[in-house]
Amino acid sequence: MSDTRYLDRGTPPERFARGWHCLGLATAFGDGRPHAVEAFGGKLVVWQDSKGEINVLDGYCRHMGGDLTQGTVKGDEIACPFHDWRWGGDGKCKAIPYARRVPLRARTQKYPVVVRNGQVLIWHDVEGSAPDLDILPPVLPGIGTDEYTDWTWEVLDVPTAHCREIIDNVVDMAHFFYIHFAFPTNFRNVFEGHMATQFMESTGRPDVDGAGYGDEGLMLKSEASYFGPSYMVNWIHVDYKGFETEVVLINCHVPTSDNSFKLQYGVCVKKPEGVDDATAEYIGKRYSETFKEGFEQDVAIWLNKAPVQNPLLCEEDGPVYQLRRWYEQFYVDRADVTAEMTDRFEFEVDTTKANEFWQEEVAENLRKKAEEESRPADEAAAASSSAMTNG
Amino acid sequence: MASFVPTSADTLEDQRLYTRARLTEVACLDCLATVGVKKNSEHHTSIQWTAEARAHCPELSRRANGRDSHYACPRMIASIEAAVREDRIPIGAEDGY
Repeated sequence: MSDTRYLDRGTPPERFARGWHCLGLATAFGDGRPHAVEAFGGKLVVWQDSKGEINVLDGYCRHMGGDLTQGTVKGDEIACPFHDWRWGGDGKCKAIPYARRVPLRARTQKYPVVVRNGQVLIWHDVEGSAPDLDILPPVLPGIGTDEYTDWTWEVLDVPTAHCREIIDNVVDMAHFFYIHFAFPTNFRNVFEGHMATQFMESTGRPDVDGAGYGDEGLMLKSEASYFGPSYMVNWIHVDYKGFETEVVLINCHVPTSDNSFKLQYGVCVKKPEGVDDATAEYIGKRYSETFKEGFEQDVAIWLNKAPVQNPLLCEEDGPVYQLRRWYEQFYVDRADVTAEMTDRFEFEVDTTKANEFWQEEVAENLRKKAEEESRPADEAAAASSSAMTNG
Repeated sequence: MASFVPTSADTLEDQRLYTRARLTEVACLDCLATVGVKKNSEHHTSIQWTAEARAHCPELSRRANGRDSHYACPRMIASIEAAVREDRIPIGAEDGY
């Protein structure tokens, strides 16, 4: 038997996760036109009707497969561009303008919709269950009022990775140092039911011109919870050089195939006292840019890494296997969810040794950097003094 | 049916090692909850609850489903610390698990 460690890539699931998935800000769909959203291996059509309700159906007409996202909103229905079949938000065909009657079987795939915190959430379950309203993400107090800035919203395409890669971040203490240039000084996880939480305290690395988490003056206290398989609320208390801000970051995704997903994130900040609205919105945008850099750092890794079903862990790593056991519940039939997947599990990572080693590494980097910075100055000085003697 | 399927039997053994091996039972000193505990070092703690233990814990039950339900039960933490002091929990990892 070889003692070489085998990397088990595993095989990705054949289904998409059961649960609430966020499609974006409700305001993005409010213009009375159909919108296309790539999701679950296909395309969805999203539109707002005259009552202000947002509707989501499968994007292709059950008649001859016309693309409903290129259709027109007529009254409360979406009309197919091919033969004008009219589909209601309940999934039923309401009218066929040239037909004597509508076939009884004219029902298409509809996705139950809830607008929460200004965001459109849809329920997805391959078993076709009724939407589970008890496991919706929480209503965020103060958000949508004058107390907070408006949501920013960005989408990043991740064309060649399974969305489990982003889930793994929940437990990945060490990547915050290497990828996001921060010292995670405190790191805990709790998984229970449909929720998985990460607590982290971090400070930026002084040896890297780090944007994002890596800004030297940045101290974060972060509490991030997944509510189901794809929607995370991250409450972040930021202390930036003594200036404190409460930031709420939504990090969510929609799987587009078994090897791709769209990562979406939105930020709003509690308006600091004595700061006018324009400045507060600016602060929100700056945080959004900060997290953009963070997510791009992650994406760069995901696009090149191998999937790993058997990660090899060291003592400083977080509970990857327990997290994946929790995540598994969304990929099996309801009847097959086991107690282990949802039972409460708590894990505190020992960050002490890691931080000792990292402090040494950073000190060494700073020393080298100082050396490099002083060298060209010496050379320049030498060059200029020789020029003077020659002149 | 499993979803993310390993391609090697060794992976199943890894799953068992990382999630189930070396758990020591610790009973709460204040309620009837008993949990599985592992300590890879002084500062590391892994706590595996069961539905039964969870139902016994008045502290966690009281918190319902709000954000504070993420925090550990201080009584259970104290019980684990007592077990550590009494050398009932081995401290140290075995090749990373």
